[in-house]
Amino acid sequence: MIKNYLKIAWRNLWKNKSVSAIHIIGLVAGMTCCLLMLLYIQHELSYDKFQEKGDRIVRVIMEYGNGDTTNKGNFTGTKVLSTFKNNFPEVANGVRMYKNKNIVKIEDHVYKEDRFLYADAAFFDIFSFPLLKGAANDVLNAPHKVVLSAATAQRYFGDKNPVGRTIQVGANQTNYTVTGVAADCPPNSQIRFDMLASFSSLPAAKVEETYWSANYTTYLLLKNQNSIASLQPKIAPFMKRELASEDDGNGSYITYELEPYTRVHLYSPYDGFEPNSTVQYLYISGCVALLILTIACFTYINLSTARSLERAKEVGIRKVAGAQRRQLFWQFISESTLVSAISLFLSVLLLLILLPAFNDLTGKTLLFSEMFQPEILAAMLGILLSISFLAGSYPAFVLSGFKSIKVLKGAFHRSSSGNWVKGSLIVFQFGISVFLMIATLIMQNQLHYIRNKELGYDREHVLTFPLDNRTMAKIALIKKEFKQNPNILAVSRSAELPTRIKGGYTMWTNRMTPEQYIMTAGNVVDDEFVAACGLQLIAGSGLSKQDIRDVSHADYDKNYFHFIINQSAATALGWSPEEAIGKKMTFSYRNGEVKGVIKDFHFASMHTPIKPLVLFPDTWSRHLIVKTSGNDLAETIAFLEDKWHNIIPYRPFEYQFMDESFAKLYASEMRMGKTLGIFSAMTILLACLGLFGLSAYTIKQRSREIGIRRVLGASATGITRLCSIQFVKLVFLSFLIASPLAWWIMNVWLRGFVYHINIQWWPIVATGVAAVAITVITVSFQSVKAALANPVKSLRTE
Amino acid sequence: MLIELKNIFKWVNSGGNRFFLLKDINLKIEQGAFISVMGPSGSGKSTLLNILGMLDTFDEGDYYFNGQPVHQLKEKYRSRLYKEHIGFVFQAYHLIDELTVYENIETPLLYKKVSSPERKALVSDMLDRFNIVGKKDLFPAQLSGGQQQLVGVARALISKPKLLLADEPTGNLNSKQGAEIMELFKRLNQEDGVTVVQVTHSEKNAAYGSQILELLDGRIISK
Repeated sequence: MIKNYLKIAWRNLWKNKSVSAIHIIGLVAGMTCCLLMLLYIQHELSYDKFQEKGDRIVRVIMEYGNGDTTNKGNFTGTKVLSTFKNNFPEVANGVRMYKNKNIVKIEDHVYKEDRFLYADAAFFDIFSFPLLKGAANDVLNAPHKVVLSAATAQRYFGDKNPVGRTIQVGANQTNYTVTGVAADCPPNSQIRFDMLASFSSLPAAKVEETYWSANYTTYLLLKNQNSIASLQPKIAPFMKRELASEDDGNGSYITYELEPYTRVHLYSPYDGFEPNSTVQYLYISGCVALLILTIACFTYINLSTARSLERAKEVGIRKVAGAQRRQLFWQFISESTLVSAISLFLSVLLLLILLPAFNDLTGKTLLFSEMFQPEILAAMLGILLSISFLAGSYPAFVLSGFKSIKVLKGAFHRSSSGNWVKGSLIVFQFGISVFLMIATLIMQNQLHYIRNKELGYDREHVLTFPLDNRTMAKIALIKKEFKQNPNILAVSRSAELPTRIKGGYTMWTNRMTPEQYIMTAGNVVDDEFVAACGLQLIAGSGLSKQDIRDVSHADYDKNYFHFIINQSAATALGWSPEEAIGKKMTFSYRNGEVKGVIKDFHFASMHTPIKPLVLFPDTWSRHLIVKTSGNDLAETIAFLEDKWHNIIPYRPFEYQFMDESFAKLYASEMRMGKTLGIFSAMTILLACLGLFGLSAYTIKQRSREIGIRRVLGASATGITRLCSIQFVKLVFLSFLIASPLAWWIMNVWLRGFVYHINIQWWPIVATGVAAVAITVITVSFQSVKAALANPVKSLRTE
Repeated sequence: MLIELKNIFKWVNSGGNRFFLLKDINLKIEQGAFISVMGPSGSGKSTLLNILGMLDTFDEGDYYFNGQPVHQLKEKYRSRLYKEHIGFVFQAYHLIDELTVYENIETPLLYKKVSSPERKALVSDMLDRFNIVGKKDLFPAQLSGGQQQLVGVARALISKPKLLLADEPTGNLNSKQGAEIMELFKRLNQEDGVTVVQVTHSEKNAAYGSQILELLDGRIISK
């Protein structure tokens, strides 16, 4: 029996190739989206699950502050590990880690390594990263030892054995010995390294351990997974005793929180060594997957009921031949199963093709092989069954209910009962499409606004380079050489780029006590920073070379600082820009005076308001900023490269445009914008397919009416309008429902930005017009055909 | 007695008026009879045939098939009775376009849950008997009208029905093809003892039957 069902299903598919193709395209589109989402969710859930001791590892989170402010993050000082190990019996072992971008020199080649990590010797005991060469307990047990990942070893040494070789790390070209090779870290790990050096190589490991200078991440291995509950409450009182001697009376404190290792990726606000995700994203992805699947089901329902008229005769004959309704029901279910199975197969193939693009979009490394995990296979079976039954049962129910003598006489089931079901499916689908279209437009608007907003600094044609201490020593030479090219307008250096300057400093004036300090962001700059970044001075003047010499004394206490503050800082300190000039102030214990006030500029993302900022001179920096005129950019870059190789042969010539650093600030919004765009296109496609099916169905149902109207003299346009108007009404209804919802939700989203657009009427109106236009076009495929058909034919079918 | 109809009424209500399709039909059909039903359009011929074939219901009266009261039977039993004993032939053949000749004939057996080897044997017999073995893998669209109706009859007979109901079986055929089908009906009736009830417009075809039933406005006017 089932063979017969499948046979006829197959022949039906084959006979109506175009209709079947639409059916299958709809399902494939929906299923592929759904599978991608599932793969993504599964990937995120699998993070760090491969760690055999994962349930016993915790990450230490530091919290510090005084009475007024607190600060919390994934950083700890070097002392945490040893004290915890010695004082808490629950702690079995631990490892301190540090991530640093580094340059590596091997013979004459210089490589830039972004995933250069440092770790204590216990690393390979605690974490399950298999070592291919070398022994776990001695690969990192002394300074200047380094373990390479298999891919890095291949890249550096080819097939030759890397163990025992020497590589030169950093600008100072310190020699490190390769002691082992580890398997490449899986993509679903919060710790991923290309190179792993011994923690004892770091300068911080050579001085006395401290709770302060918290730049390191500490992981602890507990004796058993329940120890976290007994350990956590002991920490705060313990730390209070530890720091009793340092108490300065203003309420400063440090405490630590333990985070289970396996919860870091999805639940922690603090990134691992790789960026975190949040569990909310997974819920959203799950909802999106379900939504798309639902829409695909609705499309299938609308398309198959549309085809029911063609199947009506068959149903009648089968009933006359003795089929019961139940048997017919199962026949149509097996048919939808066949279609779903074909679609599922095709969507797996499509997934294989689309995965690289998806990885690009999400910044993830999903592997096609992850498809074959039991969870995903089970989910695929689930999708198959749910589409087969959910989407198949309504058409099966309708079809199997046809009355045999009626359909055999040619009088089709003409009742309008069922029509509201199909109508509401259309309203739902278009509602979703309208919602996504409006959301996409508003999001694009906001992103456009951000990109083009006057930021207060100039980020075009500005190149930036990383700057290390060795290069810093040559800064005067670099400036002189670079400026020989007339297209290079300014060469500056700073601790942070103007795209993103972090907080962490304090300031007070001589009218305030140090305890009344105001939190402020700060950046080390030189005399050309204001020019290189195009900042606007509104009072006073910029820094001079003398100001830098004033802070270059070997005895730090002799330094006298000249500050450039922004307008917000001036206001916070109670001055107008003009009043501020020449006023004494202290900036994180640096004494000096205000020399200039600049106009506020956006030195953080637009999610936050502009805060006080102090630019101060100092002798160190991390970035080199080169402002060019933008003319002959290629030639200018070639010039820079040439100079670079002469002055700084030990570093690769790697630059970044400031624009790119700026774009990174909004990477997640851009990604969301793109993803939304794709999904709205997808839902529109699916909704159109469904609409196409439903219009075909209703117009066929009305063919006699249309024939009569034609005979009575109705024009083709009149008929087309008649056929389209009911669908236009449905789509307009969905627009009325979805647009206020979209308006409301996008307002909530926009409120996440301190600087945002106001929603205007045009994206909403444009969406409405587009939805109606799409409807008219889709329906016209059918209605024009009906209007132009010979009325005699449709009347003769009675 | 194969069929007994007692005071059968069927009507539709339209705008407050009751419009009778069948009025007080009393009819007895013996096993082995060959009845031709005649009458003008709208006289109720097809309605009567559909009621006999249990494809349609009636509003009043009693229907006994093989001694069983059809009017009292539940859907399930009626369906079983129908599957066992009745075969239908249509004017428009009503073959399933997506199935081959062989598969079309096989369909009723599938719904009767006949085992696969037995189905094969029965269908082969039928193909043999109707001389269409060579056409078994063709689709309906590849056959002439006469051949299609032959397949339609073969399908109706595959489950060895006691009663063959035919609604203008030759209506779409030319006179030669029509005569062949009529000869086939006659042979089935005489050699295999199948009871045949056919609706027809043609006097000539009606003459193949042993009895003619004339309907006018839902009443039997002559037997």
